[in-house]
Amino acid sequence: MDVEVWRLPISATQRGKLISAGYTSLSSLSSVSPSDLARDLQISGNDASEILKAASHCGRLDNADQSHAIVTGAQTAWDMLHEEDLSRRITTSCADLDNILGGGINCKEVTEIVKDNVFLILIGGVPGIGKTQFGIQLAVNVQIPVDFGGLGGKAIYIDTEGSFMVERALQIAESCVEDMLEYQEFVRKKFQACQVQMQPKDFLKNIFYFRVCSYTEQIAVINYLEKFISEHKDVKVVIVDSVTFHFRQDFDDMALRTRLLSGLALKLMKLAKNCSLAVVLLNQVTTKYSDGSFHLTLALGDSWSHACTNRVILYWNGNERYAYIDKSPSLRSASAPYSVTGKGIRGSASNSKRIKMT
Amino acid sequence: MNPESLLRSPLPTAKLTAGCPVLDRVLGVVVPCSSVTEIFSESGCGKTQLCLQLLLSVQLPSSLGSLSASSLYLHSEAPINSADHLFDVLLKTDFALANPKTQFPIKLIVIDSIAALFRSEFDNNPSDLKRRSDLFFRISGNLKALAYGFGLEVVVTNQVVEFVGTGEGLNGVRIGNLGCLYSFGRRVCPALRISWANCVNSRLFLSRSEEIVGKENGLVDVGGDDFVQRRTKRQLHVVFAPHFLESSCEFVIVREEVFAVEK
Repeated sequence: MDVEVWRLPISATQRGKLISAGYTSLSSLSSVSPSDLARDLQISGNDASEILKAASHCGRLDNADQSHAIVTGAQTAWDMLHEEDLSRRITTSCADLDNILGGGINCKEVTEIVKDNVFLILIGGVPGIGKTQFGIQLAVNVQIPVDFGGLGGKAIYIDTEGSFMVERALQIAESCVEDMLEYQEFVRKKFQACQVQMQPKDFLKNIFYFRVCSYTEQIAVINYLEKFISEHKDVKVVIVDSVTFHFRQDFDDMALRTRLLSGLALKLMKLAKNCSLAVVLLNQVTTKYSDGSFHLTLALGDSWSHACTNRVILYWNGNERYAYIDKSPSLRSASAPYSVTGKGIRGSASNSKRIKMT
Repeated sequence: MNPESLLRSPLPTAKLTAGCPVLDRVLGVVVPCSSVTEIFSESGCGKTQLCLQLLLSVQLPSSLGSLSASSLYLHSEAPINSADHLFDVLLKTDFALANPKTQFPIKLIVIDSIAALFRSEFDNNPSDLKRRSDLFFRISGNLKALAYGFGLEVVVTNQVVEFVGTGEGLNGVRIGNLGCLYSFGRRVCPALRISWANCVNSRLFLSRSEEIVGKENGLVDVGGDDFVQRRTKRQLHVVFAPHFLESSCEFVIVREEVFAVEK
């Protein structure tokens, strides 16, 4: 056994007295009072409190560098791969997109969309491209029961822009139920299992909605999430639509903004890791002036884009919407067409019927 | 809060009617409450007409599917003369909304037009543009907070700029369902660029074009253009919106009202 008192900066005599009295570990010193210690060791009260001070100082240092937590937390790569296999993914309802995301959005990383070991996903795109639709679709899809290849989880939707429309969520949930019924028909020929028990309204019950009207509220909600999730264990995805909006006003101090944002990103990443859930952040695009011309770029600057492990950009290509994996540690860059339909996000329009505009 | 509880909230259909059933149906519902909707078009396409109709129809009683509420109209010419001034007014609006002068709560704010305020004061250089987009987000953040806090709808109007160039480039960045926007046969795009587009929840576009009718009368070839019967064709398009898909309809403005025509 490790005799921790050896590390205390005290005299050898006192150390010897400590050990012979049975105080070998720092924790054994943590709960003893100076007078008890003075009696046990037969030393003066002053000396005893000196020892306790040294012990508590030493203990704090230990906690600060967290050496124990890190050492015991080591994982082999094999374990990690295994864990990855176990973690299920949230489908985007668009087969092409699921493919390039390695099967959907993984419940553990922060991506600006969700993907393989992508707990944190950042999704960016011009207004009207379908970012909010993605958010709502994922909030619904995360609830698809395990029998149907889903996660059977719940969703938290943090709305900063006021774009979350309940009617639309209900519409998407209805289509999701229809799809599940269809799947059930298909599967019944082989198995007896799989009963669709969820009603569209049940989907809405499992989306926790926060409307935030300022960046202080946004920070407060994100700080509160950990507690909220500990009370609602089934939450599998957190969607922030959009992370940007409030941070684009009232910030003269750009350094402060960067610090606040990185703090948020760290918190979300920790949350994703600890609670094994996916975090999907939606971001706006803006124009940036460089080399004498304007370019489109994601809002909030470069340092913020480092925070997100996965980044998906949504863009128009002719008359079709495309999603492009811009950055990801585990996925290769690829793009896939998708479309926004009455039912929600679906596969590319060229395979299906589409309303023609004049 | 749960979306489920939103569905059951006291005003299950707290939506603004446009005062025309066809218009309401074609667009889902024209404007849902608690969001910011932008209407943009060239001058003379009917923005102000549509706004006036919204201002009136919001007063209809709930038995007619409306809100029996009053509204606030901010006009960019006389009373409000700069973007900063608008921001100041919005800060004070809070109090006016909490203590309405009439027995009806305010459920609609119309700002006509937002572009007029921003197009005059700012130069086209990076620092002014940055200041401008900063103000966009402050104003829009404020409007959204009011919209959410008081359950009201905000409608802003915007102007268009001529589309210059050949497709790609900054002006050519496609926003929303319509690849190209045409009005009077010319290609246009909304003023205030992409940063403002980020500030609104939904966006409607009004277009106008001249259509030749009366070919069947045989008038076309007789004596040149003077004898051709022309008709103004006005259309309303949904450019983007979180709650409904791309759609459009034709509408007519007459002395009494604005109404949509079914195809």
